Amino acid sequence: MGNFFSSMFDRLWGVNKEMRILILGLDGAGKTTILYRLQIGEVVTTKPTIGFNVETLVYKNLKLNVWDLGGQTSIRPYWRCYYSNTAAVIFVVDSTDKDRMATASKELHMMLQEEELQDAALLVFANKQDQPGALSASEVSKQLSLVELKDRSWSIVASSAIKGEGISEGLDWLIDVVREEQL
Amino acid sequence: MSTHTYKKFEEAQSGVLPDKMTIYQDCLNAFNESPVNSKRCRLLISRLLQLLAQGQTFPCTEATALFFAISKLFQHPNDSLRQVVYLAIKELSTVSDDILMATSSIMKDVQNGSDMIKPNAIRSLTRVLDESTAFSAERLFKSAVVSKHPSISSAALVSSYHLLPIAESTVKRYSNETQEAVGDLKTFPYHDGLSEHYPNSTYIAQYHALGLLCMLKNHDKIALMKLVQHFSSGSTLKNQLAQVQLVKLVGSLLSKDHQMISQLSPLLLGWLSNKYESVQLEAAKLITSLPDRYVSPELFSSAVQALQGLLSVPRATTRFAAVRVLNRISMVAPEKIVVCNPELESLINDSNRNVSTYAITALLKTGTSNNIASLIKTITNFIHEISDDFKIIIIDAVRTMALRFPEEWKSILNFLVNVLKQGEGGFQFKSSIVEALFDLVQFVPQSKELALENLCDFIEDCEYNEILVRILHLLGKEGPGMKTPSLYVRHIYNRVVLENSIVRSAAVVALSKFALVKNDPTFVDSIEILLRRISNDVDDEVRDRATIALEFIESIKSKGESGSSPAESLIQSKFTYDLASLESKLSQYMAAKQEAFKTPFDTSSIARYTEDERKAIDLKRKQEQLFTTVSSGKSKGKSGVSSEADKKNGSYGGPDATELDQDLQATKYAEELALIDEFKPFGPIVNTSKDIALTETEAEFVVTGVKHLFKTHVVLQFHITNTLADVALDNVYVGCTPALGDGESPLTEVISIPADRIKPSETFSSYVAFEKSQEVVTEDLLNTLYFTTRELDASTQEPFDGDEGFQDEYEIDTLPLTAGDYIRGSFVGDFLACFDELPNHEISVYNIRENLSLQEVVDKLITTTSCLTLDNTQFTSTDSNTHTLKLFGKSVLNGARVALVVRLIKSSKGIALKAEARSDDAVLCSDIVNGLI
Repeated sequence: MGNFFSSMFDRLWGVNKEMRILILGLDGAGKTTILYRLQIGEVVTTKPTIGFNVETLVYKNLKLNVWDLGGQTSIRPYWRCYYSNTAAVIFVVDSTDKDRMATASKELHMMLQEEELQDAALLVFANKQDQPGALSASEVSKQLSLVELKDRSWSIVASSAIKGEGISEGLDWLIDVVREEQL
Repeated sequence: MSTHTYKKFEEAQSGVLPDKMTIYQDCLNAFNESPVNSKRCRLLISRLLQLLAQGQTFPCTEATALFFAISKLFQHPNDSLRQVVYLAIKELSTVSDDILMATSSIMKDVQNGSDMIKPNAIRSLTRVLDESTAFSAERLFKSAVVSKHPSISSAALVSSYHLLPIAESTVKRYSNETQEAVGDLKTFPYHDGLSEHYPNSTYIAQYHALGLLCMLKNHDKIALMKLVQHFSSGSTLKNQLAQVQLVKLVGSLLSKDHQMISQLSPLLLGWLSNKYESVQLEAAKLITSLPDRYVSPELFSSAVQALQGLLSVPRATTRFAAVRVLNRISMVAPEKIVVCNPELESLINDSNRNVSTYAITALLKTGTSNNIASLIKTITNFIHEISDDFKIIIIDAVRTMALRFPEEWKSILNFLVNVLKQGEGGFQFKSSIVEALFDLVQFVPQSKELALENLCDFIEDCEYNEILVRILHLLGKEGPGMKTPSLYVRHIYNRVVLENSIVRSAAVVALSKFALVKNDPTFVDSIEILLRRISNDVDDEVRDRATIALEFIESIKSKGESGSSPAESLIQSKFTYDLASLESKLSQYMAAKQEAFKTPFDTSSIARYTEDERKAIDLKRKQEQLFTTVSSGKSKGKSGVSSEADKKNGSYGGPDATELDQDLQATKYAEELALIDEFKPFGPIVNTSKDIALTETEAEFVVTGVKHLFKTHVVLQFHITNTLADVALDNVYVGCTPALGDGESPLTEVISIPADRIKPSETFSSYVAFEKSQEVVTEDLLNTLYFTTRELDASTQEPFDGDEGFQDEYEIDTLPLTAGDYIRGSFVGDFLACFDELPNHEISVYNIRENLSLQEVVDKLITTTSCLTLDNTQFTSTDSNTHTLKLFGKSVLNGARVALVVRLIKSSKGIALKAEARSDDAVLCSDIVNGLI
C-alpha cells in the first residue's frame, strides 16, 4: 500500500520522469568526483575513467540519470554516442589548468553545436577553487567565451568538489531551468 | 498472440530465427528508451544472443551501434538485466570497435556489484581489456581470485587464462594469490535454511587455479617440481580435476626430463590407487606412455593392474578409457598386457560397442598364432552389430595381424572375404577390407591366388567404382603371372560387358596386360580379339585405350622374341614415379606458362621406384603408421574413435605426412642444387641423406648437415641458423677435413661455397663439394664452422659502419659418410631365401658399453644403414634380452642387394652385437658391417 501511495506522489511530483544529465570535460577536471559527491555526498578516490560511469540519483524529488563520461583524448570522440535525450550538460573545467583552457573551450563549443544537444541546458563548473592559483568563475567564463552562446540557458558556478562547495548551488540552478523548460 | 507464435522464438530447437534487422532495430529503440524497461530489454538481448549463437553476424558499424546501445543499460540496477548485458558484451567484443567504453562500468561492478553479477562482470572484463588497461584491473583480479565465493574466484582464474596472451605480466603479479587459491577450499556462503538449494562446492576453483599456475610457471622446472611436491602431499587437493591436472603436470615434467622418474614414481604409484577413477586412469596412461627404460617393470605392471581393475567397473566411460589405453599398449608391447586377456575377452560382449571394439582390437594384438583362429571366429559373429567406424578399426587390426602372422593367412583371408561378401557397410568399410586383401596379396605371397580369386568374385557385385577400378588394376598387375590367367580374363571381360565407362576403361588397361603372358600364343590372340571387339565401344575413352593397347601389342609382336620393346614397358610399367615430387614438378612446369612449354616436360629428375622399392616404401609407411597412431593417441585428447578412424582412412588415400615431407624435401634439395652453377657438371643427384644435427639444438649456432651423393662427387649441405639476437654472421663456411688426412683420403675437396651473411634467427646454407671415385667411399669428415661476427645496430638491423668484425670458429660434430648413404631400403618377400643366395659374406662383432635399450640400438641401426626392416623385426620385445634384426636394401649406385641379419644380446655389461651381411657387392658388404656403429 505504501508503495502505491509513494508511486502516486511520485507521479504528482513528476519523479517518474527521468532526466538525463551528462557530465563532460577534459581529463582530470573532476567529473567523477562531482558525480559521487552528488550521489553519496562523499569524496571517493578515483582513477582515470576508461569509458563512463552512470548513476541514478534523486535530487529535489527529481530522478536524475547522471552520466559521467571519460575525458581522455581517446574517449572524447565517443561522447556523441550518449548525447540523445539529454536534458542538461554539466561541463567541468579545471580552473588551475590555464594551458588547456583553449582546448576545453574548443571541445565545449564543438559539443554544443550537435543537433541532439540544441535544447540542453548548460552548467559550467569552474572546479578546483580550493587550489591556489585557480582562475575565478568570470575569468573562466571569459576564456571559454561563454557569452557568445545564444539561445541557451547557461550558467557558470565556481566550485570545489573536494570541499563540496558550489556543487548544490549549481545543481539547484540547473534543476530550476530544466523544470521550467521541459516539464 | 496465440501460444504457437508466442512460443516460436522461445525454443532453441525450433529452428525459426528471429529476423536480424528487426531485432537490431528493436534493440536500438528499446535500449535508448528512458526509463529502461528491463524485462523487454532482457528478452531482446536473449534473442540477439540466439542470433549470434546461430552464427549470424553483424557488420562492424551495426555491432558498434548495438554495443553503445547496450552500454546504456548500465544505468539500470537490475541484476538479471546486468547479467545478459555482460553476455552480450562478451559476444559483441569480437565484432565491435570501441569496446573499451564499457571498461569503467564493468570495473565498478567487479568491485561493488552483487555476488550474482560479479562472475559475469569478471568474464566480460577480460574481453574489453587491452595491454594498457589491464594494468588498472590488476587489483580487481587479485581480490577476486582470493574471494571466498567459489564462483567469483573461478571466474577470475579462468578469465586470467584469456588475459595471459594480452597482459602476461599483470597475471604474473598475482601468482601468489593464485597459489593461495589452489589450497583454499571454498564453499558457497549460504549457511541458512536456503543452503539446500545450492550445490555443494566441488572445489573446482582448485582446478582452475592449478591450471593457471602451471601456465605461469611453465618454463620454471624447479617451481613446477615444488608445486607437485606441495600439492601431492596431504589432502589439500579435493577436486578431482585438480588431481588429474597434477598428474598431467607430472607428465609434462617427465617429458622434459626423464631422469626425474625416480623421484616421482612413488607419487605415480600412489595415484594408481586413488579414489577417483579418472586419476587412476591418467596416472596409468602416463606411466604406460613413458619410454620403456625409465619405467621400472614393477611400476608398469601396477599400472596395467590398475587398468585391469578399471575394465570391470560399472561406468562405461571408464571402461572405454581403460581399454583404449590398453589398446595403445598392445600396439607396441602386446606381451605386457596379456594378463588382462580374461577381462578383455569378457568385454567382447560389452553392451557398449565402442568398448567391445577396442577390447577386440587389443586382443587381436595380444593374440598368439594359437588363438587367432578362435578370435577370428568371435569377431565374425560380432562385426555385424557395430557401426562402420568400428568395423574399420577392427579390419585394420586384422590387417596388421595378417602382416605379423603370415602363416595364419587362411583364416584371416576367409574372415575378410566373408565380411566383404556380407554386402553391408559403406564405401570406407569396403575399401578398408579391400586394402587388407591387397596387403595380403602383396606381402603374403602364399595367399595370392585365393585372394585374387575372391576379389574376382567380389567385383561381380560391387557398387563402388573406385574399388572396382583398384581391383581391376591389381588383377592386371598380378593376373598375368598366375597359373591360370584365363580365369581373370573372363572376370575382367565381364566388367567390360556390364559396367559403366569408367570401369570399362580400367578393365581395358588390365586386359591389355595379359597380352604379355609369354609362351601361350593362342591366349594372346584371344586377348587381341577381345580388345578388337572393345574398340567399337560407345565411349571414346574406352575405344582409345583399346586401340592404343592393340597398337602396342602389334609392335611387340613385330619385334618377336628378340627382347623387350618400349611398348612392353608402356603396357606393364616396371617402375612408378615418386608421386609427390612428380606433382610438384608438374605444377611448376604448368606455372611457368608458355615459356616452358617449348621444351617437353623432363621426367629424368624425378625419383623412380621399381616394384620392389615401391613395396618397401609401402611397408615402411605401414610400419611407421603404427607408430604415429600410437603417438597420436598419446598426445591428443580428441575423441579417440573418430581420430583413429580418420587416420586409417587417410592412409588409403596418400602417403602419410612425414614420408611425404621427406620425399618433398629431397626434391626441394635437388632444385636448390640445380640452381648452383658449380654443381652442374656433377650430373643428377643419386641419393640424398636425412638432415643430421651437428650441434645441440640450443647452441648459439645451430648446424645440420645433409649429404648429397652424385656419381663421382659428394656435396655436403650445411644449414646454419644464427640464434644470437644482435649479431650477424658474415662469410660463413664449414671447413671439412677428411679424417684420414691429405693424400690418404679417398675424398678431395673441390669447391666450398660460403653463406654471405646470416642475420639473427635466419637460416642459410653453405656447401662443400668433394670429388670421389665411382666406388663406395666411406669417410669421417671433421667439421669446423668459420665465420666473422659483426654486431648489429638495434635500430637498423644492419652492421655498424666501420666495424671490421671479429673472426671466430666453432667446433661442430663429425659428419660421417657411411655405407648407409649408398643404400636405399628395399622389399623382398622371402628374406631368408634371398639372404642365402647372395654371394658375398661378411661378419662383424661389436660391444656397446653405453647404457642403451635394445630398441634404441635397433632404431640407430635402421637409420645408419638406411635399410628396410623386414619380418616385423623393428620392434624389440621388452621381455627378452635378445633380438634379431633383419634389414634389406639396394645400392643406389648399381642396384646391388644387401641383406643384414643383426643379432643383439643385452647383458649387464652392455649390448653385444653380431652383424652378418650378404651382398652382391663385396665392397659394400664389408663396408656396411664395419661401419655399423
